[in-house]
Amino acid sequence: MLKFELVSRIYDDGTKAVSNVSLHIKAGEFCVLLGPSGAGKSTLMNMVNGVVEPSSGRVMLGDLVLNKRNKKTIQQRIGMIHQQLHLIPRLSVLHNVLAGILPNVGLFRSLIKSFTKVEQRSAHQLLDEVGLEEKHLLRRASELSGGQQQRVAIARAFISNPEVVIADEPVASLDPAMSRSVLKSLKTAARKHGVTVICTLHQLDYALEFADRIIALRAGEIFFDGHPDELDESTQSELYALAQPKSVKLEKVAA
Amino acid sequence: MNTPAEQTRSWQKWEIHQAVTTKNIVIVFIAFVLLSFSAHNTELDKAAVETSKAVLSIIGVGESQVLDGVARFVAKAFPLQISETTPINRLNDFDRDDLPLFSYIESGQVNEYDALSDTWSVETTEFLVQPIGYLKKVAIKMWETIEMGFWGTIICIMISLPLGILASQNYTPHRLVYSFTRIWLSFHRSLPELIVALILVLMYGFGPIAGVLALAIHTSGVLGKFFADEIENAPPGPQLAISSTGAGAFKVLRYAVFPHVYPACIAYVQYIFERNIRTATVLGIVGAGGIGMELKGRWDVFDYDHVATILLVIFLTVILLEVISQKLRKRAL
Repeated sequence: MLKFELVSRIYDDGTKAVSNVSLHIKAGEFCVLLGPSGAGKSTLMNMVNGVVEPSSGRVMLGDLVLNKRNKKTIQQRIGMIHQQLHLIPRLSVLHNVLAGILPNVGLFRSLIKSFTKVEQRSAHQLLDEVGLEEKHLLRRASELSGGQQQRVAIARAFISNPEVVIADEPVASLDPAMSRSVLKSLKTAARKHGVTVICTLHQLDYALEFADRIIALRAGEIFFDGHPDELDESTQSELYALAQPKSVKLEKVAA
Repeated sequence: MNTPAEQTRSWQKWEIHQAVTTKNIVIVFIAFVLLSFSAHNTELDKAAVETSKAVLSIIGVGESQVLDGVARFVAKAFPLQISETTPINRLNDFDRDDLPLFSYIESGQVNEYDALSDTWSVETTEFLVQPIGYLKKVAIKMWETIEMGFWGTIICIMISLPLGILASQNYTPHRLVYSFTRIWLSFHRSLPELIVALILVLMYGFGPIAGVLALAIHTSGVLGKFFADEIENAPPGPQLAISSTGAGAFKVLRYAVFPHVYPACIAYVQYIFERNIRTATVLGIVGAGGIGMELKGRWDVFDYDHVATILLVIFLTVILLEVISQKLRKRAL
């Protein structure tokens, strides 16, 4: 349902972020993109909803080819969870979630922040699904803890009934227990709504635990693509090595 | 002991920047000489001389023009004029049996001038005395001044909000619109209220509407630029988050920008409101309504006791507004 056809992206300064990537992601898959910083994960994901445009090749959602003209329509079919969450700090949790359906709300109604009962109910339901307690619903987003904010961001991505949800490092700033619980709620929500999820992660353990499919990137190219069970020992250790930050100084001392 | 790091580094190249040097002292001295010419132009030297004369005359040495001026004002200003006395024969439909509240009738003498024979005569007439009549009149005028400030601010917001959005780099529909609105806003800002009021008095006649529009025009330039700058400086993250759901620019503004700029805007609008009331008090001097008209009239006929009442009312009003707006602001945030 989501297709990348020989997609490349070269930035203005000559950096080749993604080169000749072809992928076919099926509906309902929970894909995890793995790879070290600068491997092109974020670029690849941002090309799905048109935040970054491919230099060559094309991205297709269903039968639609993503281009400038239909960018807004495609964006409405995609939910996004940003790395820094980008919640609106001074708005309440409910308003933050409801901000996800703004394209379907009339201009006047959105101006006076009026949402229908149905819309409000679905926001409540989603927040319940991702595990945010009821007492937080009317608090400002800035007053919540990191994990709670992450749940709000997930609810916001799901409220517009998207076909695809893309999540950029959803657990980057959370402790392990909280990370696991957030990923679990992300996966349950995706299962329940039948949504395809593309998610970048740093930690191989979480990928092995949650992913239906792992796509590993290195220097803008795919070097592993498959089910977590297909990962053999050598590839796994290679992935671990990539995830480790290189320590130049230590090597020098050893020499 | 010499490690490579110590050999390649020379501390002389990294001396700390000295603030006071001979060169700096010379520059400051030259600047001082040049500035003294400008100070003479603006009569700062005269102020210094007159002020020291005033101080000397307080301890009993010599005379002072400054003190004379103060004494002339103070001598007439106290006691403050609170009551209002009107000759009864000047009042239309006066009813002796139905006096206004707290007022009474007093008889007194008045000097009458007969222009035909060029003679003065003393006549006895009756006066209607209203004990707080003048204070009431000033209070009504002050209220009119506050209303002028209020409407000036409302019209100012109505002008500056759309212009502010058009003049912000990230929400302007076109580069040309951006430049045009920016120039327009600075044009508004560059027009002093008093001068705009003078022209508006020509157009609309004496009265508060000239003042209201003058206030709105000047302050919309200030507020519009402020709105535009705030919108430009709003954090881009939430804006990206909302716009990447496919929402249009208006909705992004409403949900990702306005909540962020709201507190600063409230504070600024409040400042504009206070400032408008303060400015509205002087706009009456050119005939644009409000308490300034009364002030100017009384000042020109040396009724300093009336002037003192007006000044006291203005002072108290500004303090009161300050207190109220502080309280309101705490609640709004």
